Amino acid sequence: MLQGINIHFCISDKPIIGEASVKLFPGQFTAIIGPNGAGKSTLFKLLSGDLTCSRGNILYNGRPIQKYRSKELAQIRAVMPQHTVLSFPFSAWEVVELGSLNAPREISQQDIQDVMERLQIWHLRDRKYSLLSGGEKQRIQLARVLIQIWKNQPFPRYLLLDEPISSMDVSLQHLVLAMLNDLKDRNIGVLAVLHDLGLVANYADQVIMMKAGSIAFQGNLSEVYNSKNLEKLFGYPIQVKNHESGMGVMVHSLPYHYINHTIKQAQ
Amino acid sequence: MKTLQSDIRTSKLRYQNAVMLMLLLILSVIVLLSASFGAFHIPVAAVIGIFKSQLGIDSHVFTDAQAQVLLNIRMPRILMAMLIGGGLGLAGAALQGLFRNPLVEPGLIGVSAGGAFFAVLFIVFGSSLVVMSPLFSLIGLPLFAFLGGLLVTMCVYKIASNSGKTDISVLILAGVAINALMGALIGLVLFYADDAALRNFTFWSLGDLGGSNWSKLGIGSLLIIPAIGMILKLYPELNAMALGENEAYHIGVNIQKVKYTLFLSSALIVGTAVSMSGTIGFVGLVVPHLIRLGFGADHRLVLPGSFLLGAILLSGADLLARNIVRPAELPIGIITALLGAPFFIYLILNFKKINY
Repeated sequence: MLQGINIHFCISDKPIIGEASVKLFPGQFTAIIGPNGAGKSTLFKLLSGDLTCSRGNILYNGRPIQKYRSKELAQIRAVMPQHTVLSFPFSAWEVVELGSLNAPREISQQDIQDVMERLQIWHLRDRKYSLLSGGEKQRIQLARVLIQIWKNQPFPRYLLLDEPISSMDVSLQHLVLAMLNDLKDRNIGVLAVLHDLGLVANYADQVIMMKAGSIAFQGNLSEVYNSKNLEKLFGYPIQVKNHESGMGVMVHSLPYHYINHTIKQAQ
Repeated sequence: MKTLQSDIRTSKLRYQNAVMLMLLLILSVIVLLSASFGAFHIPVAAVIGIFKSQLGIDSHVFTDAQAQVLLNIRMPRILMAMLIGGGLGLAGAALQGLFRNPLVEPGLIGVSAGGAFFAVLFIVFGSSLVVMSPLFSLIGLPLFAFLGGLLVTMCVYKIASNSGKTDISVLILAGVAINALMGALIGLVLFYADDAALRNFTFWSLGDLGGSNWSKLGIGSLLIIPAIGMILKLYPELNAMALGENEAYHIGVNIQKVKYTLFLSSALIVGTAVSMSGTIGFVGLVVPHLIRLGFGADHRLVLPGSFLLGAILLSGADLLARNIVRPAELPIGIITALLGAPFFIYLILNFKKINY
């Protein structure tokens, strides 16, 4: 289990995260959602080890994150940040292959090809990374982090993704989320900061709902992911309901001009 | 199709080996030409004959004078040019990887100037240290230059980088400031220098490769070669760092260790080079760039390739320096600057277009 216990994080005495505790289970897909500036990325960076908490503890499989060497940590968790800018002209293949740098077991060329084919980027392998589109770059980076944890291990592992599908078109978003769900069978816990509430409703098992630097709600989707909580979280009317076809859940936010009146009244 | 695809790694390796082989060939040709041409001409056949006789194979196509000039004057100088040129090329590649920016160069960011300042400190105030130990007179100058280079590298890094991201304009400006500061400090120190120290300084600052001999070469290689080894080993880490410091940490790179190894080894190379031959600019900028432009960004090739191309470039420049105004010599720094500065301008103009 990946655990954050009473995490607290300040920047020059101004709390960005005040007292948050989170649990991330292997074999589950956990989504972090919340309005802009809620502290999602900060929480993400604390969990991945980019930032160190002012107070509190991050435990990977029961062991504090500071106790791991970076090489060991790399075998337990892979991280995909929001943006990655390359400083030199590497090819797409080279970027993906970097994921195998500290892999405990030999990553074969076939493994890399499999991942890239599933993400529909194999044909881009010889292209310069910097010349690819936003959605293509995201899939290259995703392939890189997937390669890092591709081979099965006897201990639980975690995949942390900060807005991994923000530049992708809708079909690719579904492709990627389905692929991430497949990872659950490998004893991998997936954590993703996401913005599309509809996709969260249909793919996540757990949700962490953040507001103003703390966790407003968290738990199983069936328990906390409802219209009332979402409305509180975003301060905007949002409806969650089953799709009439019986296939999946719909999250609907009312167009502004329909609710303009009620919001003004509420203020 | 399947076999083609399943061979990406091997074919890449083969390609990289071919590139290295080509660079080695070019280097050997330059070495032969350098050995042959100069104020005192030694025919290529005689050069080969002298090499052969050194290996114990009898060969009588050369005169004693030719052998003397080649073995005692020209060879140490050629090897020194290779060592320093290769070292500077490699240090440039390492610093560019560390700062994650292709415009970084030891001269531009002030590392060479820092080395020079400390070298001058040693020349002016170090005489008492030399008295203490004769060994110090040999190794003191490069050691001080190394300390200066190290200090400046770390300063510039602290100034220009913020949580692993380097702002290139801040970096270049920091370099301008540090170059100015070091220039002023050198002037200040010289103000206090006595005549003997001043003469020593003048001799050193005009240095270039003219004063090369076997013992100087020995000390140079003793300091530079381990540093080269340290950098060459770091190619996977430098590749990972191209993604960003956080990303490299995520895939298991011990960032602090890599950073300090690179600080140390590049300062060792640049400091030693400065103390042996004065500041030679632009090699560290041009060389890694050409390798990347021609053969891709993988540091497994960029690092050794930069060493070889740096060696080619500097021994080539030395060949020109010795022959353009024969029997006089041009300072080699003039030639590298004449080649490098326009290239730098070209880089600035195309920085956006090259679009790494």
